Amino acid sequence: MKKLFNLANIGFLLLLLLEIIPSRRNDTGPFFLLVLVVSIQVLYLLILAVSGDDDKRTAAGDITAIIYALIFSWELFTTKLDILDQMLFPAPGIIVSLFITDLPVLLKGFADSMELLLAGYLLALAFAIPLALVIGWRKRLYNAVNPLTKVLGPIPPIVYIPYAIGLLPTFMISSIFIIFVGAFWPIFINTLNGVFNIEKRIIDSAKALNVSEKTMLFEIILPGALPAIISGSTIGLVLAFILLTAAEMIGATSGLGWYVKYFSDFADYSRVIVGIIFIGMVVTAITYVFNKIEVYLLRWRN
Amino acid sequence: MTKIRLENVSYAYEDRGAALPAVEGINISVHEGEFVSIIGPSGCGKSTLLSLLAGLSFPSAGCIFIDGQVIKGTGPDRGLVFQHYSLFPWMTARQNIVFGIRQVKKSTGKKTIEKIADEYLGLVGLRDFAHKYPLQLSGGMQQRVAIARAFAMNPRVLLMDEPFGALDAKNRVVLQEVLLKLWDNGSEKKTVIFVTHDIDEAVLLSDRIMVMSARPGTVVREVPVEFARPRDRAALIGSEEYAGLRNKMVSLFYDDVLQKIGGSEVAL
Repeated sequence: MKKLFNLANIGFLLLLLLEIIPSRRNDTGPFFLLVLVVSIQVLYLLILAVSGDDDKRTAAGDITAIIYALIFSWELFTTKLDILDQMLFPAPGIIVSLFITDLPVLLKGFADSMELLLAGYLLALAFAIPLALVIGWRKRLYNAVNPLTKVLGPIPPIVYIPYAIGLLPTFMISSIFIIFVGAFWPIFINTLNGVFNIEKRIIDSAKALNVSEKTMLFEIILPGALPAIISGSTIGLVLAFILLTAAEMIGATSGLGWYVKYFSDFADYSRVIVGIIFIGMVVTAITYVFNKIEVYLLRWRN
Repeated sequence: MTKIRLENVSYAYEDRGAALPAVEGINISVHEGEFVSIIGPSGCGKSTLLSLLAGLSFPSAGCIFIDGQVIKGTGPDRGLVFQHYSLFPWMTARQNIVFGIRQVKKSTGKKTIEKIADEYLGLVGLRDFAHKYPLQLSGGMQQRVAIARAFAMNPRVLLMDEPFGALDAKNRVVLQEVLLKLWDNGSEKKTVIFVTHDIDEAVLLSDRIMVMSARPGTVVREVPVEFARPRDRAALIGSEEYAGLRNKMVSLFYDDVLQKIGGSEVAL
């Protein structure tokens, strides 16, 4: 009985009860809001069924309750009481319905954005990591390059956008270039520091095993610097995403950033909100996958 | 037959232009198959001496010969075990040993190398821990793996820098036995240079003990240990000869300390 009346379930019931109250705005009716709430409840119940950990169940319940509280006040102040401005604060039901109808456009935007993001980001990984490994390992190169990175690294990559657009022939190439530059420095600088900070005894151990230069670089220095490489890559990914959406808002004809910018030009703030929520979901998914990769690669660290 | 010879070896660190001597005028000669301990207070340059022997650094003056040849860097003829960080944390116990063997037996097949690795894991009693990463193992287990790797690579000389220094008393005894067992295992005994600051450890393991002093770091005494092998630890520790040698070592080791605090009444 106690389990049944937890915060999440109470929130669910309250939202259902809220729909009995007559609405002041009449745009979509309760259908789409109910779709949203029921989907969240199903997801919550699924997590309860799958998870064996009590702490995780409680957390899932609390998170669900917070989401319900947000939706509840959103619905209350828009559809039910109509206190907020209609154009700037569309009802949750409208967002859900637009999300469903616009899903094909959003998915195409997702695919186009990922193309740019992956191209720029993978190029950054492919250049930054090997370069930093070699430079970090060679003392003379390190001493020469490290001060330069201190000057070039902190330049906010956004300022490259106008120059890149002038310099490079197409929007696609200039976006990839900007994402590349933005992701390059954090990966490069972190890898460099990672190589520099590898425990000296580990290097000595490897030297005493008489390893070849190639083995030293790829089987000792690379894994030794891996924790730093991964934290640099995480920062690089976040920056890459910011730059991707920024570039798309300036010059693209598709993509996630374009979607938000395009509809804001028509003052279609419902679709702007849909775009923002969708971008949030995409970032969450990407971060999730990235964390899985990190945990796997660093499984040796307790 | 002389395996290792140090002639007037000195080493100084550079510190803001000034040379800080770590070891000075070292003359040592070690026979093939001999187990030699180097003992001395911290800061006497024991570890520096070992890294010179390993070829990780080079003497500022003097020469180090192995089999009559001046050493020109690290080599597969010498294995090295540190107190910490001998193992690569991103490799499992087995991968660490496999990696070591691969460096000396480049043309040997993967299966053969893995078989050797498993054999040595078995010899140090870690067959069931083959797929654990070093950070998942206790300090004693990590050192077992490091020793297993060193022996699996089959170098002629084994250089050990306080390998059991971070272990508790019980584990230390166990690991000493593991080391002696492996050392006695092959047809030809390896030459071992063993740095320690534990007098009992030095007496129980060695054929000869070099006593070093600090500032300048140099060998002040050589003490032969003539107990028959294999040594029975329990019987040996109770014997008068052992007590005599140990007392001699203690007085050598703490000589300068005693002089400084001015009395033999200090309990050792």
